[in-house]
Amino acid sequence: MNSTVNKYDFYDDEIVKKFVIATVCWGLIAFLVGLVVALQLADWRFNFGLPWITFGRLRPLHTNAAIFAFAGNAIFAGIYHSSQRLLKARLSSDLLSNLHFWGWQLIIVSAALTLPFGYTTSKEYAELEWPIDIAITIVWVIFAVNFFLTIKNRKEQHIYVAIWFYIATIITVAVLHIVNSIAIPVTFLKSYPVYAGVQDALVQWWYGHNAVAFVLTTPFLGLMYYYIPKAVNRPVYSYRLSIIHFWSLVFIYIWAGPHHLLHTSLPNWAQSLGMVFSLMLWAPSWGGMINGLLTLRGAWDKIRTDPVVKFLIAAVTFYGMATFEGPLLSIKSVNSLAHYTDWIIGHVHAGALGWNGFLTFGMLYYLVPKLWKTNLYSVKLATTHFWIGLLGIILYIMAMWASGITQGLMWQAMDDSGNLLYPDFVETVIRLVPLYYVRFVGGLLFLLGFLIQIFNLTATVLQANKEKVKDPVAKGSRIPFKDVISESSHRSLEGLPAVFSTLVVIAVLVASAFSLIPALFTPTKMSAKSIIRPYSPLELVGRDVYIREGCYLCHSQQIRTMSSEVLRYGPASTMEESIFDHPFQWGSKRTGPDLARIGKKYPDLWHYRHMMDPREVTPKSLMPAYAWLAKDKISFDLIPKKLRIMQQLGVPYSEYEIDNSIETAQMQAATIAKELHEHGAPSGLEKTEMVALIAYLQSLGQMSIKPLEVK
Amino acid sequence: MSIKKEDQLLDHEYDGIKEYDNLLPSWWLATFYGAIVFSFLYMGYYHFAGGPSLSDELQQDLAEIYTKRKSLEVKDNGPTEEALAAILADKSRVDQGKVIYVGKCASCHGNLGEGLIGPNLTDNYWLHGDASLMSILLVVADGVAEKGMPPWKGMMKKDEVQSVVVYVKSLKGTNPSNPKAPQGEEVKN
Ligand code: HEC
Ligand code: HEC
Repeated sequence: MNSTVNKYDFYDDEIVKKFVIATVCWGLIAFLVGLVVALQLADWRFNFGLPWITFGRLRPLHTNAAIFAFAGNAIFAGIYHSSQRLLKARLSSDLLSNLHFWGWQLIIVSAALTLPFGYTTSKEYAELEWPIDIAITIVWVIFAVNFFLTIKNRKEQHIYVAIWFYIATIITVAVLHIVNSIAIPVTFLKSYPVYAGVQDALVQWWYGHNAVAFVLTTPFLGLMYYYIPKAVNRPVYSYRLSIIHFWSLVFIYIWAGPHHLLHTSLPNWAQSLGMVFSLMLWAPSWGGMINGLLTLRGAWDKIRTDPVVKFLIAAVTFYGMATFEGPLLSIKSVNSLAHYTDWIIGHVHAGALGWNGFLTFGMLYYLVPKLWKTNLYSVKLATTHFWIGLLGIILYIMAMWASGITQGLMWQAMDDSGNLLYPDFVETVIRLVPLYYVRFVGGLLFLLGFLIQIFNLTATVLQANKEKVKDPVAKGSRIPFKDVISESSHRSLEGLPAVFSTLVVIAVLVASAFSLIPALFTPTKMSAKSIIRPYSPLELVGRDVYIREGCYLCHSQQIRTMSSEVLRYGPASTMEESIFDHPFQWGSKRTGPDLARIGKKYPDLWHYRHMMDPREVTPKSLMPAYAWLAKDKISFDLIPKKLRIMQQLGVPYSEYEIDNSIETAQMQAATIAKELHEHGAPSGLEKTEMVALIAYLQSLGQMSIKPLEVK
Repeated sequence: MSIKKEDQLLDHEYDGIKEYDNLLPSWWLATFYGAIVFSFLYMGYYHFAGGPSLSDELQQDLAEIYTKRKSLEVKDNGPTEEALAAILADKSRVDQGKVIYVGKCASCHGNLGEGLIGPNLTDNYWLHGDASLMSILLVVADGVAEKGMPPWKGMMKKDEVQSVVVYVKSLKGTNPSNPKAPQGEEVKN
């Protein structure tokens, strides 16, 4: 090769290699952290008493690492590798590619440096605080520009179905991220979202559900459409099916968010819409699975011989399973059993380990030898990885099914006299512990398989020829505009990516606008003011402690419209009750009991002792101890600013209340501390976060000005 | 290799990937249309034709439960002092009560009943009632919510409440070390 060659004559595979390496490194971390949190649920002592690795702080790190670090880097590797070849063009700019790569890694590192220290918005999968959110936006725009400019430079008139899915991903993630992250900063690493209560719930789960759709589904479908036909060397089963399932998926997915909010205080009709759109989503999802699996017709024997094909096909099968289970879980009656239980965790992991994990593993086994121009070091080891990993996933899912269904049934079980059969919540927790160990073993096997892969891939790279051979860009050409528009309708769209992308934008925006409409039918803060009081300054501080410690990852604050819930926790939650909650704290999983009406259930000293060590009051509890709260001091001077921002967001604090908020907080803290001390707690608690948290807990369910109608 | 006749290759090709133009599987279309039709029927029934809302269903469920509880209350006149005394004489029930006590009561009344958040249960001073078995049953079952003593009747089965009550009774006069100061009135029972 001489030095005068134009670099644009070759694909940029260096950037793909970087993303591949990042995928492997972050994957290892994500799985390890997952294993630790799994172990902590089996035995709380595995947090070693260190605040920054307690369950509530570590779980967001696990989910974010798995979704944005492992899957994210895998997506970027696959998109950059396949798009260049599908478009017959080198990536538009090395600078943008590298900014994208390093920017993204920096974001992940900052996530790892903030989440364990309690800097979190508490919005699931969007926990990162506002400066990082801004960085994500910038890096995403860099990615988008790089990608769309590459499309512009393409030497292939039409865009292949994989590219459609990449386009949908880039556009929708941008919309989701920006809308869900709008917040007002309090300090450099603390903010309050502009939405509250049921509105925040609606926006958050529109985001949360579609993060699954557009980070963990559409890009992976795109990868599937490239790597499966490449690996088996067979034509894609049906082009028509691609068209139908692509558009229906993009349009219908957006609506299904409220299936995370069934039986809550969200208006009934909005819940029903979430449910029926989820049912309608089943077929479009399976369209993708069919196209993936049936592409293998005539080459089924490759499943036996080629580990890449094994992984890819198993991944698609798990995709089919998870997308069947999803609509099932969205049916209100099934959901009433499964919501808040480990069944949902199992469902997520069928997708995350089976679909995203295995697809990525298959892609890596395909990519690494191709990128480093050698053969896979050992097919046998890859096959071993496959079976160990598969066994791990099956153990994981089975354990969570068993655990989730046990929980759901025990929560609802009634005896003949119309009383709860298991009124003591902790009984329903103890029962699950053996299953948590099974889950741990499943995760361990999955990780073990991955370690084998890391070894195999490293050996592959090491045996490769050090001389760099670059792949030349394939020759191609564009066709004149008038020929493009005279083609059949969808075909001409494929020839006009700008128009195609615009249509995707319209579909996503229209569906989003409609699916967020229920937010307009919720009570206003003005109207709620006469029913419910806002938090006292000290309670607000306590609430921020609750958020920081990630209590919402084990506790819900939403009593559902089900008789077993009402008998256990009290009247079903109303929309007004969370109206001043920026952000809402309804939660998504109950490892501990619901806390929406915990206020005044126990004396302050009970909470003090429970927070110091839950085993003191509930012998078999698996809740972590939070003893450091009795030492950490409250930042009283931040309180006026917090109240001021809440006021700007519409929470009815008066000027007088804001001006005197520090004194009010100190007085309330002193009262609680004095009483605690009288009952035997140590003195001097009035400056600590412990009293703030207790004040907050005691306010839950006690905020109504008018007494609730108890039926 | 069994490639069916309907497989018709399109003239698309991307990096060597070709596409067939197979028809959509009919069972797939059926599920898609089926779901759409079902959705209209579902929304129509529940939100336009007056189908019950979730809170209607909840009220109905609760009403059934409360009626059932009422009808049982009528049949069951509740235990008497004598009946409870018989349970107190049954060692296995007292032991059962102890297990419950350690799990649910000790956190507030101390492991030995010496008192902690809640009052000492071993002395002769009582806040509620005269320390008869029936009066203990009353306070344990109904609680004193505003003072931090939970009502246990919804949280345990009836016979469990009775067992823990007789266990509390058995604590009387056990003189644990470091007792909480007396609260309430002195009683004779
Ligand atoms: C690992 C999961 C987990 C986390 C994290 C967690 N809890 Fe718990 N919590 C539990 C379990 C399990 C119980 C039930 C057993 C018990 O009473 O300790 C419980 C019980 C409670 C109760 C008593 C509820 C009742 O009705 O009896 C309160 C209050 C509570 N937790 C508050 C908190 C607060 C505040 C935080 C955050 C600082 C927190 N929890 C974090 C698991 C958790
Ligand atoms: C959360 C703390 C707490 C728990 C748990 C608790 N109690 Fe109490 N209990 C109290 C308090 C506080 C009082 C005093 C109420 C008052 O001042 O009127 C009390 C009062 C009592 C009394 C009346 C004592 C008197 O002097 O009249 C009895 C009997 C009693 N409890 C039994 C029990 C039993 C049995 C259990 C377990 C099933 C239990 N308690 C669990 C806090 C608790």
